[in-house]
Amino acid sequence: MAKRLRLSELVNEIDDAIQNRFAGETFWITAEITDVKKQTDKRWCFLKFIEKEGHLITAEIKGVFWANTFHNVEKFEKLSGQTFASGLEITCNVRVRFHKRYGIDLEVLEIDHTYSLGKLELEKQQTLDRLVKENPKLIRLIDGQYFTSNKSIELPIVLQRIALVTAPNSDGQRDFKQEIENNQYGYAFSVSEFLTQIQGDNSSKLLIQKLKMIEAEKENFDIVAIVRGGGSQTDFKPFDDYELSKYVASFPLPILTGIGHDRNTSIVDLMARQHKTPTKVATNIVEHNYNFESEIMDFKERFFETAESLIDEAKDNLLQMKRTVKAYSPTTILNKGYAIITSNDQIIINPKDIKVNTEIKTILKNELIHSTVTKKSKNELDI
Amino acid sequence: MNLTYNKAYNDLSKLVDQIEDDKIQLDNLADKVKQAKELIDFCEAKLRTIDKDVKAALTDKKPTTRKKNRL
Repeated sequence: MAKRLRLSELVNEIDDAIQNRFAGETFWITAEITDVKKQTDKRWCFLKFIEKEGHLITAEIKGVFWANTFHNVEKFEKLSGQTFASGLEITCNVRVRFHKRYGIDLEVLEIDHTYSLGKLELEKQQTLDRLVKENPKLIRLIDGQYFTSNKSIELPIVLQRIALVTAPNSDGQRDFKQEIENNQYGYAFSVSEFLTQIQGDNSSKLLIQKLKMIEAEKENFDIVAIVRGGGSQTDFKPFDDYELSKYVASFPLPILTGIGHDRNTSIVDLMARQHKTPTKVATNIVEHNYNFESEIMDFKERFFETAESLIDEAKDNLLQMKRTVKAYSPTTILNKGYAIITSNDQIIINPKDIKVNTEIKTILKNELIHSTVTKKSKNELDI
Repeated sequence: MNLTYNKAYNDLSKLVDQIEDDKIQLDNLADKVKQAKELIDFCEAKLRTIDKDVKAALTDKKPTTRKKNRL
């Protein structure tokens, strides 16, 4: 009879064997994940890696992120805009571990984000490339920035008549209107709503229809706001549609977009003025008008301050003139002891006009002195 | 009333330039002050009322308040 082992002895041997083969070694694998269980409080994530042939699972092994590598999961969600969940294919670096009670699993050390994002981004990039290539007059790519006809339309100096494109009863609709209607400055807006489904296969066509309705009465609006609340990456797919993006790029009214969260950027966003979230679109519209009002207030201050100083200056000048007139008046001069000399009722300014034997009048403060000139000589007094 | 924000802005900006460059005679000052005030009132009223009510608001002379301090 063969030798009987205690379970722990066998498990120890398995452990040794695995240690011998895998200790210190890491592997890069690409596999689909399933049964993803995140424990955000502990920063753990349990999952299974699987490989399929058709519907048949041909390989399966447990996987785990511990707290020291959990940031990979968060980074994945931040970069991709989608939840780290079953059905995704990821590429990651793993270590084979064996636990005497819980068995064998793969500890994930790192996710290759470029691979995971690659698939989604590739499709989007292809659409962008095609937009630029097929519409050189509408869309240009310069230093990584997309310049479109729509983005180059100057915003009206004040934005008040808004065509809002969004989904009925959605968070985006509510957030946008709340921010607009309760703006802190009390600005008035008229918001015309063009509501449509914005999720699902047909959405991009429905969005185009709504924009066409707006275009038909474009003189009634200052701008178009396209808003949508947050969602997963696939929810934003309609906004990566070629035809919709092209139409947005060519649209005759400025379009402001707030699609999803800070981390999402759709192609439609790139073709228009992107403000990230519905609330931010609204805030920007309000601030745009506030900037205008501030300029008007600056004008007001400058104009009225200058007007006041003009009036003050005029008053000062008048006062000065009064003083001058008073200072030069004959009364003031006579009061000081000076005299005025006249001959034939003409004030003598040039002494050469007076000849010897001429009769002259000397006008003093309270008296007139009549005299005849008897002698003239050079003035050698030093006054 | 055919006044637009753009026209009000441009006219006001011109008035400010004129007065700052001493191009306004005292004789015209009262007139220019009146013009500036009308342009400012127009903007303030229009910002806070939808289009068709602007006229009413201007004749109404409702005081408008700015809640946020200017920068």
